[in-house]
Amino acid sequence: MMDCNAYRRSMMADPRDADPRLSEHRESCHDCNLFTEGLLRFESRLDRALHVAAPADNVLPLRAKAARLPNRRGWLAMAASVLMAVVVAGVLWVAGPGSSLAADVVTHMGGEPDAWHTHAPVLDSELEAVLRNTHLRLTAGAGPVSYAASCEFRGHHVPHLVIQTESGPVTVMVLVHENVPKPVRFEEGGYRGVIVPVAGHGSLAVLTRGSSTDIKVVEAIAARVEASITWTGA
Amino acid sequence: MNDQVGGNQKRARFQALCQSLRPDLLRFAFWLSRDRALAEDVVQETMLRAWKAQDTLADEAAAKPWFLTIIRREYARTFERKRFVTVDVDELVAREEPMLAAAEEEELAEMRAALFKLPDEYREPLVLQVLMGLSTAEIARELDLSAAAVLTRLFRARKQLRVLCGEDTRLDPEK
Repeated sequence: MMDCNAYRRSMMADPRDADPRLSEHRESCHDCNLFTEGLLRFESRLDRALHVAAPADNVLPLRAKAARLPNRRGWLAMAASVLMAVVVAGVLWVAGPGSSLAADVVTHMGGEPDAWHTHAPVLDSELEAVLRNTHLRLTAGAGPVSYAASCEFRGHHVPHLVIQTESGPVTVMVLVHENVPKPVRFEEGGYRGVIVPVAGHGSLAVLTRGSSTDIKVVEAIAARVEASITWTGA
Repeated sequence: MNDQVGGNQKRARFQALCQSLRPDLLRFAFWLSRDRALAEDVVQETMLRAWKAQDTLADEAAAKPWFLTIIRREYARTFERKRFVTVDVDELVAREEPMLAAAEEEELAEMRAALFKLPDEYREPLVLQVLMGLSTAEIARELDLSAAAVLTRLFRARKQLRVLCGEDTRLDPEK
């Protein structure tokens, strides 16, 4: 059995550590539970503090032979190409065959086809268990959740949910480790969806199957789901 | 013709990858250097180097550590060129005040000032873990340390940070 000092030391080194021995100790120790709550609040503040403003609208090399910029004055000289790069990148980002992140999300769907076929709401305790490690809760406003799993995605465990909506089931993936500078629409592999940035908490991917649901409806569902999230780390 | 189309698609894909990673890379470079202007220069150089070397990136899923390695090397080069000898933290905080004070909450500005005061060897693994989402093993690889050494640094980083931020540390472990 882990002692309090070892538990707290482990948590201070990695508060996201999913070692079951840690959760076992936490559940049996009031003081460590209290300590964890304080630490997670601190962690949330740390996460937000590290997210200093970093505008995405800066130059990206359009050609392999892009001019080398000797110093910051070069940025001004490149203003026109910056603008062009941003416009071109924006168009490609939205209209292209899909970003790598979107492609990975779609690929992940292929690994869990059964998730779409369940309709009965999952137990609250089951949902809470899936969301706990990501430090969030979902209010009823999001709609009934018929599937909830913690999935390995790009090296992290992320919540993978299926929510029943007026437009049918939608898949939601909470991607706290994946930042996107602006909403990304995609349509590939038989899915239509969006990835929207969530300030300070990465992004949210929302997908529907097929192409019968208007993308604006998908975006509205994404906005509703985002509004239904309460971040508990703060 | 097909080669050209394939090349364009590949370039577009790489450009989208750069675009999506750039904000976090800029943040990482900022916390590494504690200097926004320098961070922008380092990231710009990094993007150019990455662009030229994009064929060496076999797996896009590995892009983040790949970029981080380039940034760290580029920063080290800049550091060598400029030959910084001493670092006055108060001066750094004052210089970056507009950015640090841009926090909408006072407690975030306080945390940012505390992060500035952390020794580099503690701040860097902490930023890699919290901001960049790297696992302990990934941080160990990036910094060429053992996993145990990384965990020790992360523990000490949070311990110092909590003291600097005036947190209630009565329940914190001693060592």
